Amino acid sequence: MDNHSNRLKQSRQRLKRGILINMIFLPMIPFIIVTGLSFYFFSSTLEDATRARLERILTDHRRMIESFLMNRKADLELVARIYAFDDMDSDRAVTAVYRELEERSPAFVDLGLFDHRGNHLRYAGAWALAGKSYAGEEWFQKTMSGGYYISDVFLGYRNVPHFVVAVRRIDKGRTWVLRATIDTLFFDTLVSGVRMGTTGEAYILNYEGLAQTARRSGNLAVLDPDPAFDWFENKIKFGNKATWFSPEDQPFLYAVTGLSDKSWYLVVRQEKQDAYGALYSAAVICLIVTVCGLAALVVTAVFISERIVRRIELLDTEKEALGSQLIRAVQLAEIGEMAAGFAHEINNPLQIIKSEYALLKILVGEAETADGGPDRSPAGSTSFSEINEGLDQIHTQVERCNKITSAVLKFGRKNDTRQTALDPKSLIPEILGLVENTARSGGIDLTTRIDEDTPMFMGDHSRFQQVMLNLINNALDAVAKHHGARGGRVEILAGQIREKNRALVEIRVQDNGCGIRPDHMNKIFTPFFTTKAVGRGTGLGLSVCFGIIESFGGTMDVDSRPGQGTVFAVRLPAK
Amino acid sequence: MEKMKILLVDDEPRYLETTKKLIERRGYDTFTAESGEAALRIMDTHSVQVVILDVKMPGMDGNETLRVIKERWPLAEVIMLTGHATVDSAIDGLKSGAWDYLMKPADIDQIIEKAEQAFDKRVRQEEKIRSAQARLYMKSPRQILKDGEA
Repeated sequence: MDNHSNRLKQSRQRLKRGILINMIFLPMIPFIIVTGLSFYFFSSTLEDATRARLERILTDHRRMIESFLMNRKADLELVARIYAFDDMDSDRAVTAVYRELEERSPAFVDLGLFDHRGNHLRYAGAWALAGKSYAGEEWFQKTMSGGYYISDVFLGYRNVPHFVVAVRRIDKGRTWVLRATIDTLFFDTLVSGVRMGTTGEAYILNYEGLAQTARRSGNLAVLDPDPAFDWFENKIKFGNKATWFSPEDQPFLYAVTGLSDKSWYLVVRQEKQDAYGALYSAAVICLIVTVCGLAALVVTAVFISERIVRRIELLDTEKEALGSQLIRAVQLAEIGEMAAGFAHEINNPLQIIKSEYALLKILVGEAETADGGPDRSPAGSTSFSEINEGLDQIHTQVERCNKITSAVLKFGRKNDTRQTALDPKSLIPEILGLVENTARSGGIDLTTRIDEDTPMFMGDHSRFQQVMLNLINNALDAVAKHHGARGGRVEILAGQIREKNRALVEIRVQDNGCGIRPDHMNKIFTPFFTTKAVGRGTGLGLSVCFGIIESFGGTMDVDSRPGQGTVFAVRLPAK
Repeated sequence: MEKMKILLVDDEPRYLETTKKLIERRGYDTFTAESGEAALRIMDTHSVQVVILDVKMPGMDGNETLRVIKERWPLAEVIMLTGHATVDSAIDGLKSGAWDYLMKPADIDQIIEKAEQAFDKRVRQEEKIRSAQARLYMKSPRQILKDGEA
């Protein structure tokens, strides 16, 4: 039994685990897939959008910067073409041209005229640079060889970061160079006008990685080397196409492009945190939703599986109870059938014994008379009376057997009784009439209380009577045993009760007798169980009653406290 | 008056023997048979008025025997002897013409009392039959001659 319940417990645990796992993991799979997919698509869309934005900004600014530089170059070229060397070769003329240029673009800081050997002939601007020789300067050589040149930012003689635009002019066998300096501050504002989010900025690097403009964030001044340059230099593909990438170990996104006609990179960068701010908050929300969802899932699964298992347990217990009830019913029926066959067979030998007894009785009587009666021989009369006593004993015992077999046969009889509507209101007093005398003579207080609304029920009259008599007689016996001739009380109550929307008749027989011992409680409905002295009871009463009440579709319960009394409750469906 | 002849039919020989003795002590002629077939043979040779017939017997059972007896000897009175479990068959017996039934184990006094009642009935019935026949003969004395010839 213990083993069995252990096994049951184990299988229940397994079942619970199975339900729990299924309930948690099956919904979890689509849940995680959906969350993951939406997060993936959201993040990739955001990345694409960010990339596209960076690229757009990069392209726009590249064009702007390129056109700025081209325009400045074109300005100078225009001047160089309009004016001949002689026209320019005076301080006033250069200053006048400078004013013109300044008007066209405030980016021009100064203007200088150089001869083909690099001598600074004329100068208009804030610095006193005229007369210096620039023959060895890189910009001059490049201008002389290439026709024009836009320099990187450098310090030069004036020791201030600047860059120059220079054009060469060959005019009537004379070669001369016109050079303008571009204000880096102005150029800076042009570049740093790029703004994205809070950290988005643009700057220009030359091919050595030196900053040509300062970064808006301020941590990279003009001519400082960009620490990230080494990292992305060998990754950049040149051309006009923007290259977009984000170094994994850097907190920035970079978009870099080379400028046409100029060996500069335009770099646009933004902190990832800033660019992906929406993504990070989405990730946090996603995480919170996932965690909450999973927690809710687990809690629900635990709760539901707990409920299911408890329900199954309940059903199992009910099933067990039903099973044991069924077994008891079958046992009763089998015992009944067996006992009936048994009793039937016993009746034949009893019949013979009875006949033998009758014959012996006559024979003994005759022998006694032949012997001359009791007066003649005292010894003989003693032995005759002993024989007679023995014969009477045989008769008594046969009668006793007969009583038992009759009861057994009644018990085993099939339910072919006629069921009619019975009214407890008239039936119970009628039955009580049969036992009143016994109760009165035993000094027992026998009372009835029958409610007015007690309904009728279906059953066989005589069998119901048998049940009631049995219960009442048991009660009377119990009371007599406990109280003797005084203080015994037996009460018969009848009324209507409701159970699961069904009207039931409840008939209770309660006494204040000796009660039933707890270890006898589950045996009292068993056939042949009796606590009465040998020869006083057959042990069939209650089991027969139980069978009869069941055949009426009712139930019979017992509640007993040893030493205080017993209540037998019969419940029958109302008609 | 004619003396009552009783036939006991039961498959228990000892019961037959003892009961026969007891009934004979009351002064009745008693025959015994251990089976339905044996009972019919005795009925053939002796004019038995009352049969005490056990319901449950091997071979031909009580009800079957009862039917044959009632068919061949309509005037014979039959008392069925039954156990409780076969009350239904006793009712069947009553329906097919048994005089009464007795529950086993039955007292010998009960048996004899019932047998006497049955015998009384039988006697009354024979009386009626005789008076009816007498009336018939008185109506037509020739009939007697005719019967004699037949």
